[in-house]
Amino acid sequence: MIISPLTISLLVVCGLTGLGFYGLLVTRNMIKLIMMLQIIVKAAVLGIVIAGQGNGQLNLSQNVAITIIVVDTIVAVVALAFAIQIRRQMGTLDIRELASLRG
Amino acid sequence: MIAPAFIWMIVIPLLGAPLVYLVGHSGRRFWGDRVSRYAALLVFGATWVAFVRAAQAASMEPTADFTWGGMSLALDGISLLLAFVALLLGTFVASFSGEYITGEAGQEKFYAMLVAIVGVMIGLGCATDLFNIWIWFEAMAVTSYLLVAYYHTRALSLEAGFKYLMQSAAGSVLVLFAIGIVLSQTGTLTLAEIRSQFTAGAPMLLAGVLFLVGYGVKSALVPLHTWLPDAHSQAPSGISAMLSGVVIEAGLVALLRSIAPIAAQMTFWGPLLITCGLLNMIGGNLMAYAQTQVKRMLAYSSITHVGYMLVGLGVTFLLRESSGAQGGLFHLLNHGLMKGLAFLAAGALLYTLHSASGDHKPLMIADLAGGARRYPLAALCLSLALLSLAGLPPFAGFMSKWLIFKAGFASGDPLLWIVVALVALNSVFSLAYYAPVVNLLYRRKPSKVVLEGRPLPWSMVTPLVILSLAIIALGIWPDMIGWMTHSAGEALVAGFHF
Repeated sequence: MIISPLTISLLVVCGLTGLGFYGLLVTRNMIKLIMMLQIIVKAAVLGIVIAGQGNGQLNLSQNVAITIIVVDTIVAVVALAFAIQIRRQMGTLDIRELASLRG
Repeated sequence: MIAPAFIWMIVIPLLGAPLVYLVGHSGRRFWGDRVSRYAALLVFGATWVAFVRAAQAASMEPTADFTWGGMSLALDGISLLLAFVALLLGTFVASFSGEYITGEAGQEKFYAMLVAIVGVMIGLGCATDLFNIWIWFEAMAVTSYLLVAYYHTRALSLEAGFKYLMQSAAGSVLVLFAIGIVLSQTGTLTLAEIRSQFTAGAPMLLAGVLFLVGYGVKSALVPLHTWLPDAHSQAPSGISAMLSGVVIEAGLVALLRSIAPIAAQMTFWGPLLITCGLLNMIGGNLMAYAQTQVKRMLAYSSITHVGYMLVGLGVTFLLRESSGAQGGLFHLLNHGLMKGLAFLAAGALLYTLHSASGDHKPLMIADLAGGARRYPLAALCLSLALLSLAGLPPFAGFMSKWLIFKAGFASGDPLLWIVVALVALNSVFSLAYYAPVVNLLYRRKPSKVVLEGRPLPWSMVTPLVILSLAIIALGIWPDMIGWMTHSAGEALVAGFHF
């Protein structure tokens, strides 16, 4: 069986997504959570580029990909800012300590 | 190319936001903290002018669109409705928040972001392709994370902000996957072209489900709602009003826009949306009933009200008639007013009873006992908002729920009759947690907290009174706003045709 580049890329997308979601579920450290989120976003970016290439819309999909990277960096910056503030105020980065709001 | 009138209602707030920050930051030394609020109100005033001109232009020529680079925007009924609610609540929140956040650091950032989030939401309503919708949506989300965690030295707000950010970001990644699938299947991202390129099948179905889950986090579909009560209760009250009154509805609009081309050829989306709506109503009601804090109760009741809107919209997805959507979108507008009023009134009481004396305790329902004796106007406004939320005539909440019932009954489908009966039962059940609050306010002896409370500043009461009058007026003359909800409903139905 010949493995085409498309199959490999799709496998990478699935692998990264699975890894990212698994990480989101098991990680307890805020910084690592943000990293996991980034991994999933990168999988989505790769997926969109592949999708565009598949039907001749590579330009569109590459524009989309760059925009996603920019937007997602902003989200990561805000998330890291929250993590820093939480570390300062509560002295921990463990999300299990973030359990005072219930009900 | 001359830019159509509606572009200005996006451009003015987006350019105004950094100006508000600069004016607030540099003018603070000369004029004090008030200056950023006045700058924000000025920007909102200019945006209202743009809104009125856009509405006039839309009444003459309903299809205005604008393309600039990769960005394409168009004004239709839904965008106009969303712009109206966002602008209205933004203005009231800006005028309310003056006293509320006195003494907090970084007020210019608060007002700048308030202006920005209104502009971004108007843009979200006007976006015409899947990726543009996502961009506006994400811009709105980032602004709202920062506003939720505005008290950035309090552990609880940070906790709420971080939870909100993680859930919302995970949801928006799912939307990206859905966009990838749609792109691979149709080769385009423009909504109008997706409808014509569409081939029904498992991939498109998966894309639709990913849109539902992804945008569903923001519009608080049960069981994706868990961020909502934390974020709503910890944010400054003005921001709670914005979040509950427009931000989750903007998520709903993004969801509708994205799945409408997919739903055009698949009939099961109607029942799916109705089921989500029923789940939201029942879940939201049960959880609201168990609350002891006023703002958390209001937050859970938002989940219930998203349920009513979903039922109305689901009826339209099922029958392809605009009547259900007109009810649902009218409820969107009314909910913005009612929940905005409820959160602002609760915020005013929270301010006088707790925040003004420097403690950060939440406002418990029990604290409100006898509140009407000392704060007659705030208590009256809170009661009006709650009774309207419960759907009692002659308030606005009754009229929009009535339109949803009517659309369901007119279908002649027995299953929809059951749905309508469930909606009505839920509406009655919600009185079980609204009525005790009203009772407490008026018929109990004043609690210790009320007796020790500070007097209520007029700048807070005035927006409450105006919003209350608007709710009563809309309940008596719903036709006043009919032109807007009618064209919004028609715009949604037009999304199915190709």
